[in-house]
Amino acid sequence: MAKSVLVIGGGPAGLSAARTLGKLGIHTILIEKEQKLGGRPILEDYHTLIPRRMTPQQVIGPFIEEVQNLPTVDVKLETELESCEGEAPNFRVKLSNGEEHEVGAIVVATGFQHFDAKRKGELGYSIYPDVITNLELEQMFSRDGKLYRPSNGELPKRVAFVFCVGSRDRQLGVTNVHCCRYGCALSGLQGSEIREKYPEVDVFCYYMDVRTYGTWEYPFYWEPQEKYGVRYVRGRIAEITYNPQDGRLRVKHEDTIVQRPAEVPMDLVVLVLGMEPSEGTKKVAKILGLAQDPDSQFLVPSEESGSNIVSNRPGIFIAGACKGPIDIESSLAEGEAAGAEAATFIGAKVSA
Amino acid sequence: MAIHERSLVEPERILRKERLVIDGVDVSGDWNLIILPRTINDYDLSFYEEVVAQPEGKTIVNCYQCSYCTASCPVHNYWDERYNPRHFIYLARLGLIDELQKRADVMWRCVSCHKCTHRCPKGVLVEEVLKAILRVMAKRGLIEEYPSKKFDKFFMDVVYEYGRIEDGELLFGWIEKQGYKVVKDPVLKKPIPFMGGVPEWLKQLAVKPIKNLNIDFLLLNAKHMLFHPRTKNWNRFKQVLRKVMEEEGVFTH
Repeated sequence: MAKSVLVIGGGPAGLSAARTLGKLGIHTILIEKEQKLGGRPILEDYHTLIPRRMTPQQVIGPFIEEVQNLPTVDVKLETELESCEGEAPNFRVKLSNGEEHEVGAIVVATGFQHFDAKRKGELGYSIYPDVITNLELEQMFSRDGKLYRPSNGELPKRVAFVFCVGSRDRQLGVTNVHCCRYGCALSGLQGSEIREKYPEVDVFCYYMDVRTYGTWEYPFYWEPQEKYGVRYVRGRIAEITYNPQDGRLRVKHEDTIVQRPAEVPMDLVVLVLGMEPSEGTKKVAKILGLAQDPDSQFLVPSEESGSNIVSNRPGIFIAGACKGPIDIESSLAEGEAAGAEAATFIGAKVSA
Repeated sequence: MAIHERSLVEPERILRKERLVIDGVDVSGDWNLIILPRTINDYDLSFYEEVVAQPEGKTIVNCYQCSYCTASCPVHNYWDERYNPRHFIYLARLGLIDELQKRADVMWRCVSCHKCTHRCPKGVLVEEVLKAILRVMAKRGLIEEYPSKKFDKFFMDVVYEYGRIEDGELLFGWIEKQGYKVVKDPVLKKPIPFMGGVPEWLKQLAVKPIKNLNIDFLLLNAKHMLFHPRTKNWNRFKQVLRKVMEEEGVFTH
């Protein structure tokens, strides 16, 4: 029986799967197509992670370090899966670096990509410099350490968050009808961060409904309003325009509580991006023959299993954002679960 | 130009000019009619800041628009749908002044049952918050002062004059302020009860003790109405009271 496990993807889920497998003493091959481990939060310099308000270095850093130091884990950067033949527990995989391996189980943790805001042309992204994405706002915090309007470098007087850009949207086709899960909470956090550092800046969140589910309700919905004075306005922004007379943007929407159209001036507009399956996820799904949601193309768990990390193919486990929007701490937990499942699948025993 | 569906447009949004020049082009005649858009162009956030700066207004930040308050509100349920505490809070937070003003005629109608405050799942002291909103509106001249305050003031005037509540004068003086013609005696210039215009409800009120032969009550009232008794030594006390009120800046006579 093959004693190796292949983990595809070096983000939070892949790292935690590889760490669990490695610590159990199982030979693990971790492949990552980028030059660096850590996934989106590390590669794209997120500033603060929900829900614990820690930095990506604090959360994912220890996983990277541990995986790199485990003798049982073989990290291969800039490497992708080329093909896979055979059935569990004897998969023969070929990698893009030319290597071939025989593995007993596979953990797929290929993650997501951000929605491309240019697809919503009416929101003016890439047309007006002061329309930015929430990812760019994170990078503004983490790389520049300050809030500013890209058009003139000044502090904005008003910031608007536009919820559900690339989420819950049939206009984009069937691919983006799901909820991104993190957007409401992250906006609450980003709004709070802005108000804490710049109390003179007014922050508006334009929402259809606020989905800070479970224990996120208080820290990411109540606290932004009650403690930091973030304002919530019900209505989806339908169009963003620019007024050359005052150099400010206008967010066009219907205030659905007042039931009147509105075009309100804003200095900085932040688009809250939805999540889509990454190119890697779609590619790996084809190679491995994994079931995908016909609409979103995210991976779907086995219909026979109640566990969401068990794929439709025996010996292949799926973890993290390749299955749909998910937060970092759940990704880490799913990676750990998938790693442990893969270990039991290849019959590994913990010796006393 | 005619508007065929005039009922869809509020009259204040229809602008008709005899002579109209736009960007140098004379459009008088057929094109002299303009419908102003319904669009909200901006928020007046200073309104909210003034509300939240008051002790009663603090909890406005807690509201998440669930409308538990409005669903519980007897004024909303039984009187006028435009009385909507939840909506007032939303409008005040964004400073949508024109929308608040549209409801100015109903906004004083709180009956202080406090169901809203008692039930609010977010701890908004709704009744207090609404008072804070009204105070800011009154301060800005967006709403008339609380109507019952007029009575409060008249009531205080009577107490100040006699050192006690003088029923006859309070009642008929107030009726006079409501626009009824009241007959006054030539000496004291005080209203003579029932000698002029009397509202129907008051007639009913007077008929009851007569029918019931409540002699003591009738005699007492008749005595007060004729002689306007004062509290003993009131004039001296009145001077002290006047001094205190002047010092505290509440004297309005």
